[in-house]
Amino acid sequence: MAATGLRFRPGTVFPSRATSPSTQPYHHCSPQRMHAAKGRCRLKAKSSNGRPQISASSSSSSFRDVVIDGGPSEDGAPEQGGATVSITVVGASGDLAKKKIFPALFALFYEDCLPEHFTVFGYARSKMSDEELRNMISLTLTCRIDQRENCSDKMEQFLKRCFYQSGQYNLEEGFSELDRKLKEKEAGKLPNRLFYLSIPPNIFVDVVRSASRTASSSSGWTRFIVEKPFGRDSESSGELTRSLKQYLDEEQIFRIDHYLGKELVENLSVLRFSNLVFEPLWSRNYIRNVQLIFSEDFGTEGRGGYFDNYGIIRDIMQNHLLQILALFAMETPVSLAAEDIRNEKVKVLRSMRKLRLDDVVVGQYKGHSKGGKSYPAYVDDPTVPSGSITPTFAAAAVFIDNARWDGVPFLMKAGKALHTRRAEIRVQFRRVPGNLYRRNIGTDLDKATNELVLRVQPDEAIYLKINNKVPGLGMRLDSSELNLLYSERYRREIPDAYERLLLDAMEGERRLFIRSDELDAAWAIFTPVLRELEERRVAPELYPYGSRGPVGAHYLAANYNVRWGDISSDT
Amino acid sequence: MALSCMRCSAGAGNGAGSVRRGAPAAPSFVRCGLRGLATAAAGCRVAAAAAAAAKGVKGAMDAGVENAVRSVAPSKVENGSPSEIIVDDFQDLISLSENDESTVTITVVGASGDLAKKKIFPALFALYYEDCLPKHFTIFGYARSNMTDAELRNMVSRTLTCRIDKRENCNEKMEEFLKRCFYHSGQYDSEEHFRDLDKKLKQHEGSRVSNRLFYLSIPPNIFLDVVKCASISSSSVNGWTRVIVEKPFGRDSDSSAALTRGLKQYLVEDQIFRIDHYLGKELVENLSVLRFSNLVFEPLWSRQYIRNVQLIFSEDFGTEGRGGYFDRYGIIRDIMQNHLLQILAIFAMETPISLEAEDIRNEKVKVLCSMKPLQLEDVVIGQYKSHTKGGTTYPAYTDDKTVPKDSLTPTFAAAALFINNARWDGVPFLMKAGKALHTKGAEIRVQFRHVPGNLYKRSFGTDLDTSTNELVIRVQPDEAIYLKINNKIPGLGMRLDRKTDVETCPRYSKEIPDAYERLLLDAIEGERRLFIRSDELDAAWELFTPLLKELEEKRIAPELYPYGSRGPVGAHYLAAKYNVRWGDLTTEHKA
Repeated sequence: MAATGLRFRPGTVFPSRATSPSTQPYHHCSPQRMHAAKGRCRLKAKSSNGRPQISASSSSSSFRDVVIDGGPSEDGAPEQGGATVSITVVGASGDLAKKKIFPALFALFYEDCLPEHFTVFGYARSKMSDEELRNMISLTLTCRIDQRENCSDKMEQFLKRCFYQSGQYNLEEGFSELDRKLKEKEAGKLPNRLFYLSIPPNIFVDVVRSASRTASSSSGWTRFIVEKPFGRDSESSGELTRSLKQYLDEEQIFRIDHYLGKELVENLSVLRFSNLVFEPLWSRNYIRNVQLIFSEDFGTEGRGGYFDNYGIIRDIMQNHLLQILALFAMETPVSLAAEDIRNEKVKVLRSMRKLRLDDVVVGQYKGHSKGGKSYPAYVDDPTVPSGSITPTFAAAAVFIDNARWDGVPFLMKAGKALHTRRAEIRVQFRRVPGNLYRRNIGTDLDKATNELVLRVQPDEAIYLKINNKVPGLGMRLDSSELNLLYSERYRREIPDAYERLLLDAMEGERRLFIRSDELDAAWAIFTPVLRELEERRVAPELYPYGSRGPVGAHYLAANYNVRWGDISSDT
Repeated sequence: MALSCMRCSAGAGNGAGSVRRGAPAAPSFVRCGLRGLATAAAGCRVAAAAAAAAKGVKGAMDAGVENAVRSVAPSKVENGSPSEIIVDDFQDLISLSENDESTVTITVVGASGDLAKKKIFPALFALYYEDCLPKHFTIFGYARSNMTDAELRNMVSRTLTCRIDKRENCNEKMEEFLKRCFYHSGQYDSEEHFRDLDKKLKQHEGSRVSNRLFYLSIPPNIFLDVVKCASISSSSVNGWTRVIVEKPFGRDSDSSAALTRGLKQYLVEDQIFRIDHYLGKELVENLSVLRFSNLVFEPLWSRQYIRNVQLIFSEDFGTEGRGGYFDRYGIIRDIMQNHLLQILAIFAMETPISLEAEDIRNEKVKVLCSMKPLQLEDVVIGQYKSHTKGGTTYPAYTDDKTVPKDSLTPTFAAAALFINNARWDGVPFLMKAGKALHTKGAEIRVQFRHVPGNLYKRSFGTDLDTSTNELVIRVQPDEAIYLKINNKIPGLGMRLDRKTDVETCPRYSKEIPDAYERLLLDAIEGERRLFIRSDELDAAWELFTPLLKELEEKRIAPELYPYGSRGPVGAHYLAAKYNVRWGDLTTEHKA
């Protein structure tokens, strides 16, 4: 994380582990730094797809790694426009590309986070002209609320750098055509190429093969961002990884989990590791249970085709929630460098017990009428087979069998078509031993315990529930919330997760991307239970659309003496 | 604390706590609060206690009350006073109390004084308004000046106010309250005059069990006279008699001990209620709740995590022509030795066995006894000098006409204290108190250690101690608790920031009761938790007496600081000696 702090620091040569951040280690891509940033941002100073993150000096050890920072930029006297980056969005006409990727690229451009020379390419099968692509993109571009000035100018400039190439995903021709065009735009500069694969998983490998063979950069780096799903179980994921590695090295693969790009997930590590007050609390000695909760208040809404193949466990739990859990529970890493963090995450994942069927509850939403309106069942979705038993809700209890967390239940819950939309981590602490105020609390001492809540969405928040005296002559206790995050203080709009992740990928910062062994470990936890669910055709518990989910989740929690913090009578 | 928990909780039966073990909880809930009006007198603790005392023996009555109220084993023998009267059955008491057989008389000695007018009478009225006083009560003003009952009522009525949230019936209530106020004029050293008072009291008490509370709002030199006369001629015969005394309790170990001995000639320990109004403040009460009912603070509360603790008191005005009293005592005696030290003791004490008064006071005494007496080199004293700002000239302390021209009395002091026990060894407790400073407030600041091996150290710069966590408990002006936490500033970079925002208690619309209300009610109820026991007082004086003597003997000149400034810079050097930075005077603060 500190590594990101150094981005664009004028004259920084060393990436993450650099020694002395002398002046202003932080301002990031701010407009006033535009000048300084141009030509000497870390993009150029950084090692490419070589051994990541160690430092610029050691990067020369790796393959195909034309050390860009070996050039004049190294000594802090950068040559204007020495390198260029091309971002090719494969699957440019898709939804994600339109809604997230292009807008994120524009936002980065707006904030001067892109290098001076960059090109954006859309690649897809449909025929389209550059102009048409630009038209399509411009519809979704917005300017940040706090930076409206020059917005149209900026948009104009950005769109001028956007181009389109049509071609098949599995044929090399299209990509060699793309390569030609890219070379034109790169105009002799040191070319770095980033491919964003916004395409269905069944053509991942085809595209990677074709693109890597024909459109790799000859002298700069070539990186591929891939989106979930990364297989559907250990084997298929292992298979996918093997195939990708036929054409790419580990360092070229950027598996994106956009949840990791969220501000609050970033803040989780800051909270844990830069505040002494949490240090003694973060273990089985003080924490009674941890809850990871994700809910959406809408169903598949006619787009269940993809979802039905995967189900909520694969779609949310095995990746987003598990990733957050790993960050939450990992030991302190040696440093903030990507490999150090990912090493710790892998350790947590490998310490986790494989999930058993007994520890999982699955549910599926059914139709529900409320206030004259009726909401469809999951199986009413025309894109979903009518006999589908794919879970749209799941709750699970997982355990980490290491010294820190032995015996602490980590409860996960994820569901669609629930009564609310949210994602949060709840940490329930143990009760006060020998509580002097026990008579003020009542018989259930576990009710009045402290609770730390980290809400990722909709409104980011961090608060600690503490017991307080109600002002007055009596002695009544009440729990109040000690707010630990003051978003009001920061008027700045929070950048979208995709912005952060795209920038990281361009900079070769791998901290927030999932390494192959991480992915393997994550699948190893879930694969047996997924298989069992499917083999036994375990029927999901039905719950009404818009409800709080199946009651089975409560019984699962009760097994481990836990109460869901999000569904208590006081909320 | 548990005892007071059902006070004023207006009919709340919902787990707000109950009277000790198995005691009749239900009636207690309704004691104060409008809804409980009808039943208030019945079953309230005051009445019950009084009735218990009725069975007791004079002189030991207070201990008897204590036991009755607790209805537990007589393990709490206080300071050797005979407390063997055990009331066997609570039900008994209730039935007795239901007959309205007891009454409380509160006599404010020094009724024409400032404190009486500004604090005591209004607090009594507030208690009355909230139905916290027993059904039968009488208030007497006692002073030397001649005054009629009507004149007293006039005087009192001018300072009475109704709480913002309860304006209804205010005038009626005031009327009713004033009807119960009377005046008796007499000399402070005349037994005869107190006998007259006794006669009047008896008239009002009728045949009820009479409990009497004397509030001594008078200069310390006449404490003993009044106690002597009042206890001899106007003690209650069949109820309890208690005396509330205000600081100063002497000016050093010897004089304080002499005062205690004098008081004990006429009173037993349990009759003496030494008030420290700081202990009645809401947040000081909350401090224990915070510490002992939140697991998250438990592991933090020791030398392992806490780097230093700061207790800060400041006033933004000087003596303003009223320095006569102050000049004889100085800021150390006036603020530090009592208010700040008391808060420190509550902050630092070990977990008491229970919330009962003796258990808490035992722990406080232990902390005070573990402390190292103050050394001269660990103290900085100051005195304000005049200062002109924006055309206004503020006077120096010695410009005050009531202060001798060459006075060396400190109006500011900073001190570093240490508690030599397992929990706090090596942790500096810094105190600072001053008049005529730039701001007004009282707060506790707890600075935590820096994160060992901080991963984010490069985001912090070289001084890791500047970005540590800090817990701030502000007692006044706006009560608040907040925790400074490092967070990431939203955005693509990695900038950290320390939050300083404030958690107040805006959720509670109820007005916070004045410290005097709580303390008066406690005294009426015999709850001693917030009053200072004799051995506590001794221990407190022992810490400060050698230093005070040395300051006076060596005639150490205070460092002068301008009126309205941040105090003498010497305080910074004192802090620096122990590697501390004052949390209230950092550059990030506005002013």
